[in-house]
Amino acid sequence: MPPSSNADRRVGLLPRLALFWRQAPLGMQIGIVILAVHLVVAATGPFWAPYGYSQMRAGMPLSGASWAHPFGTDQLGRDIFSRVVHGGHIVLALALSGTLLGLAAGAVIGLWSGYVGGWIDEVVQRLIEALISIPFLVLALMAIATAGPQWSGNPVLIVLVVALVYAPRIARMARASAVEIATRDHVTVARLRGEGAFSVMRRELLPNATGVLLVEFALRAGYAPVLVGSLGFLGFGLRPPTPEWGLIISENRALLIVSPATVIGPGLALASLVVGLNLFTEGLARILGRTVRLGAQ
Amino acid sequence: MTIPILVLRRVVLAAATLLIVSLIVFGMLEVLPGDVASRVLGRDATPEALATLRARLGLDLPAWQRYLDWLGGLLSGDPGVSLVSGRPVLDILAPRIFNTLALAAYAFALYLPLTLLPAMAQALTRDRAPDHALSVLTLVLLSLPDFLLATLFMLAFVVTFPLFPAISLVDQTSGLLEYLHAMTLPAVTLAIVMAVYAVRMLRDNLIEVLESDYVRMAELKGLSRLRVLWRHALPNALVPTLNVTGLNLAYLVGGVVVVERVFSYPGFGSLLVDSLQLRDLPVIEATVMIAAAVYVAANLIADVAAILLNPRLRRG
Repeated sequence: MPPSSNADRRVGLLPRLALFWRQAPLGMQIGIVILAVHLVVAATGPFWAPYGYSQMRAGMPLSGASWAHPFGTDQLGRDIFSRVVHGGHIVLALALSGTLLGLAAGAVIGLWSGYVGGWIDEVVQRLIEALISIPFLVLALMAIATAGPQWSGNPVLIVLVVALVYAPRIARMARASAVEIATRDHVTVARLRGEGAFSVMRRELLPNATGVLLVEFALRAGYAPVLVGSLGFLGFGLRPPTPEWGLIISENRALLIVSPATVIGPGLALASLVVGLNLFTEGLARILGRTVRLGAQ
Repeated sequence: MTIPILVLRRVVLAAATLLIVSLIVFGMLEVLPGDVASRVLGRDATPEALATLRARLGLDLPAWQRYLDWLGGLLSGDPGVSLVSGRPVLDILAPRIFNTLALAAYAFALYLPLTLLPAMAQALTRDRAPDHALSVLTLVLLSLPDFLLATLFMLAFVVTFPLFPAISLVDQTSGLLEYLHAMTLPAVTLAIVMAVYAVRMLRDNLIEVLESDYVRMAELKGLSRLRVLWRHALPNALVPTLNVTGLNLAYLVGGVVVVERVFSYPGFGSLLVDSLQLRDLPVIEATVMIAAAVYVAANLIADVAAILLNPRLRRG
């Protein structure tokens, strides 16, 4: 248990954040800075990006990297830097809302199944096991095929797919911690008081599983931009001209010889976002006293 | 419990998992609300084409009967006929699976040295510059999406230094050298993606083992540091890493989808993407089932190996 609680709560938010910053490992500080830059760019980018995301003839087509076009221009003369800046909030929003939905569904299913036990738990476990057995990218692609052509390119579908891929993995972790927490005395007391399953879950299990779920969320959120990017790259994600980074990379891949900057630019954006998220996750896990294996699928 | 019963239990559980996977796959692709035929043919299909496809898929039969027919076909080794080319799915799958197996074997051969050497170098130079540099490098590589890593390799070794072909086309007539030439870049990409996880894990395990008493003992006997590392520390540090290797095998099944796509390598993964684009249901279903079967089998082998190696698990 961290020495938080009442004494801490009286201190203002800013001093507490400053304390947190000083206690954070160096890697985590770097991660936070990278994430902050990404957040600021995502939130404000559409207002200061030099060109529109689908504005053609912003410069000579395929003119390569220059001061006017740091990431070059594509076949249609669109400025790739502007496209990347415009895409920031799309990538972040899809990745975070998908992971959040997966976390909510996974936590509820996992905690419930671990707490009630019995045949329900057995059935849920088999179902989770089966969903995890399908490699996550294959599951994601299959889900998109299931949705059919009417849904293709719909951002809601991408969010649902990310949630579908993560929910069983998060549910497995939540179930494991629910099984462990359910043996504690305060849970037994709550049950003897006559509280129902959902009340026990919310008041006794959830608060004690927060650490596990937080790390799990950070870990999955770190990989979600890659999943979204992979779908875009394979042509199953958002539709052009949406400036999603994976899609930009796939659009310009054929012109790698002429203008490598158009691939390296969005690649740099995606990779730095994931580096930031991974550094943050590693630091968070260390602060919460947990071990985390980055990138574990 | 005796070992055969424990192993048998795992096998039954694995079979049950695969059965549920088959229900999920069939349910998602053929039973879910909406007309399968119009999902396959797209929005602007003529009514006649839709009727023909419905008849071919046997959509007038109840869902459970179609499922049983399909499952029976899978189990007897006949996953049906492609909707697009009309060829048996098995004929389409066989060469693709061979190509991907060759690629996977090549990638695994590269994976071992790519894991052992950096991890050992890091353990030997713990908390000094080379260790830190390699830690940063593995973290960055870990954060690079595999499609981006593959594309960067393409930029480096196809565009800038044209050592390898951009499109890795091979078939049964290709010789061994042609295969190796075509497979090198995809295999290196897959090997690196797999190795970065294992390196980070093995480094931590090695350092933990190097702090144990028996390693101190070996050092005091005057053995060289490399010999201590190789003979005394490595065997004990490898056990948890084997676990990661099992996970990596599971990654490989999904990873080939992206990497084969980038290098246009005619394997199992690019077949899945192609058949998804063509909405060729029998081929999609067969490939997804194979991918899940590989995952389940890899986990089963890891579980059984753990039971055989660790007597404490036998009580389970």
